[in-house]
Amino acid sequence: MSTASLQEAPGRSVVNAGRPGKRRSNRVGSRLAGLPWILPAVLLVVGLIYFPIGFTGYASTLDWNGFILSTPKEVGTANYAKMLGDDVFWQALWHTAYFYVITFSVQTVIGFAIAAVMHSKIRFGAVYKAIVFIPTVLAPATMAPVFRQIFDQYGQFNWLLSHIGLDSLTRPWLADPGTAMPVVMFITVWQWTGLTFILYYAAMAQVDTEVLEAARVDGASSLRVLRSIVWPMCRGTTAALAVLGLIGALKTFDIPYLVTKGGPNHGTEFLGTYIYQTMVQQKHFGYAAAIAIALLVLAVAGGSIMSVRNRRAGRDQ
Amino acid sequence: METWGGTQRHLSRTAALMSVALLGMSACSGAATTGAPASAGAPATAGAATTGDITWWGWTPDATNATKLIAAFNKDYPGIKVTFVSKPIDSYDSVLGPAITSSKGPDVFDVAPGSANGGVQTFAPGAVDLTDTITAALGSDWKTKVAAAGVDPMTSDGKLVGLSVGAVYSGWMWINQDIFDKYNLKAPTNMAEWKTVCSTLEANGVGCFVQGAAQWAFDMDTFEAICDNIEPGLYIQATQGKVAWTDARFVKAMGIWKSLFDEGIMQQGAIGLQQYPDANNAFMAGKYAMVMMGTWYTQYAVKDSMLAAMSAAGVSNPTAMTLTPVPFPDLAGTGKTGSMFGDADYGFAVSAKSSQQDAAKIFAAWLATSQTGQQAVANTLNQIPALKGIGAQWDQIDLVNSTKQQDALKAYQQAASAATEPRFATVSADLNTAFRDALIGVATGDKTADQALAALQAVPPSK
Repeated sequence: MSTASLQEAPGRSVVNAGRPGKRRSNRVGSRLAGLPWILPAVLLVVGLIYFPIGFTGYASTLDWNGFILSTPKEVGTANYAKMLGDDVFWQALWHTAYFYVITFSVQTVIGFAIAAVMHSKIRFGAVYKAIVFIPTVLAPATMAPVFRQIFDQYGQFNWLLSHIGLDSLTRPWLADPGTAMPVVMFITVWQWTGLTFILYYAAMAQVDTEVLEAARVDGASSLRVLRSIVWPMCRGTTAALAVLGLIGALKTFDIPYLVTKGGPNHGTEFLGTYIYQTMVQQKHFGYAAAIAIALLVLAVAGGSIMSVRNRRAGRDQ
Repeated sequence: METWGGTQRHLSRTAALMSVALLGMSACSGAATTGAPASAGAPATAGAATTGDITWWGWTPDATNATKLIAAFNKDYPGIKVTFVSKPIDSYDSVLGPAITSSKGPDVFDVAPGSANGGVQTFAPGAVDLTDTITAALGSDWKTKVAAAGVDPMTSDGKLVGLSVGAVYSGWMWINQDIFDKYNLKAPTNMAEWKTVCSTLEANGVGCFVQGAAQWAFDMDTFEAICDNIEPGLYIQATQGKVAWTDARFVKAMGIWKSLFDEGIMQQGAIGLQQYPDANNAFMAGKYAMVMMGTWYTQYAVKDSMLAAMSAAGVSNPTAMTLTPVPFPDLAGTGKTGSMFGDADYGFAVSAKSSQQDAAKIFAAWLATSQTGQQAVANTLNQIPALKGIGAQWDQIDLVNSTKQQDALKAYQQAASAATEPRFATVSADLNTAFRDALIGVATGDKTADQALAALQAVPPSK
């Protein structure tokens, strides 16, 4: 056995290291024997994930109303060309971008702050944790009518404003594109901050208490400890939330669809709502598939770039 | 010990016996399921099954009226059980598509003309041709016996996809007569009167006119009514490419549409609300006195339907309100008012995958072509019946306030029966979408009338 072969496989047991030819054939044999064991999982993944993606890619080259019995017409890349010239598509993309930046930032600040407060010894901490987390488990379909009512012209929010002397601010919040999007973002933050909080809360529990005590001994204030020790040590959580948030923003559908139907005048249009409208209402299945492929590419590219950056940042640290 | 060959012979004998038994059973079943229908009002469908268990999917009618129609059908065909499954209108296409590619899906399903849900063109490949069925029921001159709205718009490439049950029309408004009477008001006939009515109502804490302008199909109704007020037929000509949307008359119509928002006729926040459920619920709850709805609202002139609708809108212990139709006001000052436009509301299609097509065709033909079935449709007041010469039997209908409603409803149904203009049948899906952007864009001030109309003009006309 050569030294080189040992170096190539440092973790391998010396007992298994026989002649190279025999070892390779053993390895190939054992791999082939293992294939049937992973076959069900492979079929499941290919059937449930990769086949639909492939079919969506194929459908994006068709002019088709989506009804399985009707005959589609091949149009090549025409749907993609149409998409690039579609103002609503770019509008939806722009909405996604600033929706992501704002909701992620607000959720991070609030979630991190609440997690920090909960780690101090406060009374009824378990109750507060439940209150913060409950919106995360509520179905948007259940809450959408409530928020539509709250932000209606005659809703509770305007009632509240008028009772605290802010009559001039009352308005139909969902009827103006300028206010409908902030409402959608507010609902999103309300719903998902609980998850951010829980993840930060768990991450903070992993921070070595000796490091915190050392900082205290050095005279660091609570804010300084949070900023200079806890926050950097929660970097992995922040990175994971950033990736999840980006993918979530790209897939945003339920809240804008249920609360504003993407309106008014496309004011809360996202890629998800636009795909649904294009596919179901306009019956342009092929065009909707093209937008869905664009969404997939953006989600994979965005997630990958952020993961690589986070990994590099982790290594640099 | 029995050999494999012996087992095979034994299995073959068993299979043969079972086949004979099944054939015998089906023969008996066939004998039991043929024969004349129980009533002279039933369609001529000789040899068809009179027993069966079929499922009907639709977004309309509501459950109350569907139950009435099925009960009337079962008087003639007690052996055919019909189960109505109500599907939400906005997800109808997405749930129906996969369902009718399977024999487990509905046997009968609602279809509609044009770009609306359940489109005839979309679902034609999943339905059987019903030409023979309607010919057997009404004769070879059947096209002369049913409303035109139920013929060509229900046909795709020569195939009769659906049997029109009845038509719905729009173009008029509905008022809460109780509120109008309480404040001694009369239905407005022009913009000045409309503003006065609104001022009075709002001074008394009642909303004036409610529209869920985010659901633009109803905006299109209002816009078509405005266009008809300017010149009857103008709107339809434009949908067919015979008149440009950029014509000065449409610029005027867009101006009137915008004025409804600027003059405070439309309630604040209208473009943030859907017609269903928001505007409908607000009207049914008595929060507003006027609403832009079509002939399908006639059913709520009936006491039990109105009470059910008010309960569904969240009113506890409701007292039925008196609903009255009124013509759209003369906003353009032309004096041309009262016209209506409509399409077949829904037709019955029979699924090509149905294992009970005979029973399904019997049900479809009975409701769409028989005197009894169409009378039942007429009496629900949900549609204007497809079969010519059938009208509601007012003496058998329990109106909320017969004195106040009956004359108005008769005039309304006469106007609807006289209507010749389509509502959505000539509007393509792309034009429909362009209307959303145009009408809501003008309402919010994001688009000028010229920009909005240029966008409509850019859509190719429907064929």
